[in-house]
Amino acid sequence: MQYLAMIYGDTTQWESLSAEEREEVYATYNAFSEGAQKAGVLVDGAELDSTSTATTVRVRDNETLVTDGPYAELKEALGGYFVLECDSIDAACEWAAKIPGATQGAIEVRPIHVDPSANGGGAS
Amino acid sequence: MKYAALLTNDADAVAAWEQMTPGEAQAARAVEVPKWEALYGELGPSGMLGFSVELDSPTTAKTVRVRDGETTVTDGPFAETKEQIGGVMVLECEDLDTAIGIAVKIPVALTASVELRPIVGS
Repeated sequence: MQYLAMIYGDTTQWESLSAEEREEVYATYNAFSEGAQKAGVLVDGAELDSTSTATTVRVRDNETLVTDGPYAELKEALGGYFVLECDSIDAACEWAAKIPGATQGAIEVRPIHVDPSANGGGAS
Repeated sequence: MKYAALLTNDADAVAAWEQMTPGEAQAARAVEVPKWEALYGELGPSGMLGFSVELDSPTTAKTVRVRDGETTVTDGPFAETKEQIGGVMVLECEDLDTAIGIAVKIPVALTASVELRPIVGS
């Protein structure tokens, strides 16, 4: 069973870090990735660029509306994700607790339903 | 360049979906499935579609925080927003305009939204 671990954090705090401090954060993430990979838990992962680079697209009455910024303005925004292969959501939460961002922001863990290409999902 | 397309669903629509009887849900899916098949039929051969997943409902979410070495796990999503992430698609595109061109064809763009975010280092 796969789970998406979504990493929410204070993006302004990240932007205030120096290059050296960012390297330290990346090192902790690399250590997490290596551990999860060795355990056969890590499937995929990505770091998203800051919310200031976000573009949100909506279509209403055949009109395309493109706005700058994320779909919801939150103090803590989605900054990246890992896809974890675990036996249960509890096991996924245990891995999520090891993600460095868990100590400052929060990690939302959601079961991955199925490949949308296989069932045409996304509607639920 | 890779873009993460965060597919959102309207929270009210998700709640309505969960109230449906199995028969109603099946009928609703019969309407939705062809839209997604059409999208994947078009995107697949283009080579622009990467990692792609549909998430289970926000009601199945758990949120994990670690403070002073203590782990707390709460039920529910991180934030109760009007639109909730329901899926992620990674798009391999030359530029943002190309990604927007795909985003408008994603069915949830008509009912909720698609947020595009560049993936760092891609």
